[in-house]
Amino acid sequence: MRPVLGIAGYVLREAASRKFILAFLIGITLVLFVLSLSLKLEVLDGALAATRLFGEEMYLGIRAVDVALRPLFMASAYVVFYGGILFGIVACSDFAPSLLSPGRIEHLLALPLQRWHILAGTFLGVMTLALCGSLYGSVGLWLIFGVKTGYWPIGPLVAALLACGSFAAVYAVMLTTATLVRSAALCAATGFLTFVAGIIAGYRSSIAPVFEEGLSRKLFLAVTAVIPRLSALATASADLAASQPLGVKSLELLLAGVVVFGLGVLAVGLWRFEGKDY
Amino acid sequence: MNRRRGMWLVLAVVLLGLGAGLMVTGQGDEPRPERPQVEFPRRMRRDDWKRAEQRRTQVVQPVDAGTQAAEPQRPRDPVLAALPRGAGRSAVVIEANALRHSPIGELLLDCLMRDGGKRLDEFRRVSGVDPLQDLDRLVITDKGLVLSGNFSNAKFKELFQERTASDYGPGAKVYEPGSVVVTTENGSQRRGRDDGVVGTWNDQLLVVGDNPESVKEVLDQVHGGGSNEPPVISEGSTYGEMYGVLSVEEIAKLIPKEQADLAQRLREVASTVELHMDARSDVAMVAEIRGADERKVTDLGKSLGAALSVARLKAQAEGNKDLAQMLDFAKVLPGGSEFKMELAVPLDAIKERLAFCRDERQAGEARQEKP
Repeated sequence: MRPVLGIAGYVLREAASRKFILAFLIGITLVLFVLSLSLKLEVLDGALAATRLFGEEMYLGIRAVDVALRPLFMASAYVVFYGGILFGIVACSDFAPSLLSPGRIEHLLALPLQRWHILAGTFLGVMTLALCGSLYGSVGLWLIFGVKTGYWPIGPLVAALLACGSFAAVYAVMLTTATLVRSAALCAATGFLTFVAGIIAGYRSSIAPVFEEGLSRKLFLAVTAVIPRLSALATASADLAASQPLGVKSLELLLAGVVVFGLGVLAVGLWRFEGKDY
Repeated sequence: MNRRRGMWLVLAVVLLGLGAGLMVTGQGDEPRPERPQVEFPRRMRRDDWKRAEQRRTQVVQPVDAGTQAAEPQRPRDPVLAALPRGAGRSAVVIEANALRHSPIGELLLDCLMRDGGKRLDEFRRVSGVDPLQDLDRLVITDKGLVLSGNFSNAKFKELFQERTASDYGPGAKVYEPGSVVVTTENGSQRRGRDDGVVGTWNDQLLVVGDNPESVKEVLDQVHGGGSNEPPVISEGSTYGEMYGVLSVEEIAKLIPKEQADLAQRLREVASTVELHMDARSDVAMVAEIRGADERKVTDLGKSLGAALSVARLKAQAEGNKDLAQMLDFAKVLPGGSEFKMELAVPLDAIKERLAFCRDERQAGEARQEKP
């Protein structure tokens, strides 16, 4: 396990040296800081009685604080989910290609490491980065609203974890692509394609009737059955963030399915990586 | 090496298959249920304006000494003319016909006809009036009732029996209190006295009051006389299936005893409370509360919002799903010297509560069908 952690640490150090990841973290911090100073919430017996942003009264009505904050938590969950995955695709697209680049891969392979350590370590490092990023934003937002309203729902934090689970599936595809072609652009493109396909797969039962009954519909359903249901998880994370009943049958199974898909794709990458000559 | 490599591929296939199975099971292929959406009656809709326009059927000629040429009068709604006038008065209009044809009306009808419609049929036979067809609006005021609709088939003579009837202006009659013969449940008859006073106008209005003065006051208003003040409900406020103005005292009585402070503050701060209820799908209610002191009205709105929030938390803690769901939509919208309070009850919750009415009605109808 130690070699895997070593590679993960290497990826994290690499990430820390990137200016735009640092800028992203500073950006989140600034948003949270400005929000904490500019937003004034008046809570009376669990009801949000008044809201002021930059001193301007916002006429949202007086209602139970959890109901009033529902749209905000839902919007935040969607931003963390979709925004986080998109940022992750862009920010992490060249980690694997650069790790597998000529010179560096030979150096790594010369070390007492097994090949799967390198891929698993890279995957673990990127996932640690994604987890820290999403939790940083979510916990920050959760703390700000918790302190200001006295309402501490666990939903927004779970929503951030769901976003990480979904990114695991997307990044597994990117990492596997890197074992085939050492191109950051192609990694990002396959990540983006998985992202779009994942959104479509989440709505497969609604989209299926668009196809003619028969082979085309069956084909669509068969293909989308394997693809991670990103939009379904995004909706579930928004529901969780807003403490609303979930629209999916079993969130645990759905999340497990998405993560298992990621591990499956990673296994394809390992199969390819094990047989490649460097 | 090749064997190990092959294992990765086998593992990949197994994991992808397992992942697909987990996702299909986890998401389920059922379409996501629609979230309950409630439309609150906040203003006159196009249909409400159309309805109000169709009800402007009465033209009242102004009374003058003949010194000025009388200007043609705009037709008006006689029911609105019959409403109480002046501050502190109450009137609630129930759009009986619209309500009867709404989903909630169907449910209420089941409850009304739990005996299989026996009593309703008896009422139709005795009075000549079919409440489900002939009644348009029912107005409950602080001094009595006003019913509007088509009463041309009403058997007033049989209904009011020996009570003295006197003409009271064009098309109007007043039936004074008097003795009546009542048929009891076992079919026997006994004499009794009805102290209520009933006024009729053009087979369109029935006015019921405790004394002749209150009934005559309403008929005077319909004839174009009475107070010069506007009715408590203006034409622009006739939206929803139930609407009206209630005195603050009556609203305060509805607040639970545990919230006595809130009731007292309502009495002190509010001057009028206007209600509107929409029953076209879910039952949604908007109460507009007005007062003179802007600061106190805002504080009252906050207190009411907080009380609703506490009630919702309590309902959630006690597992009262229906009430918690209803209070999910509860909101107070402040606006200077007035605020609006919105409440809603999902139709499904009402259906669940009134399911026994349908069962009893069906049982009652089955009993009647048996020879």
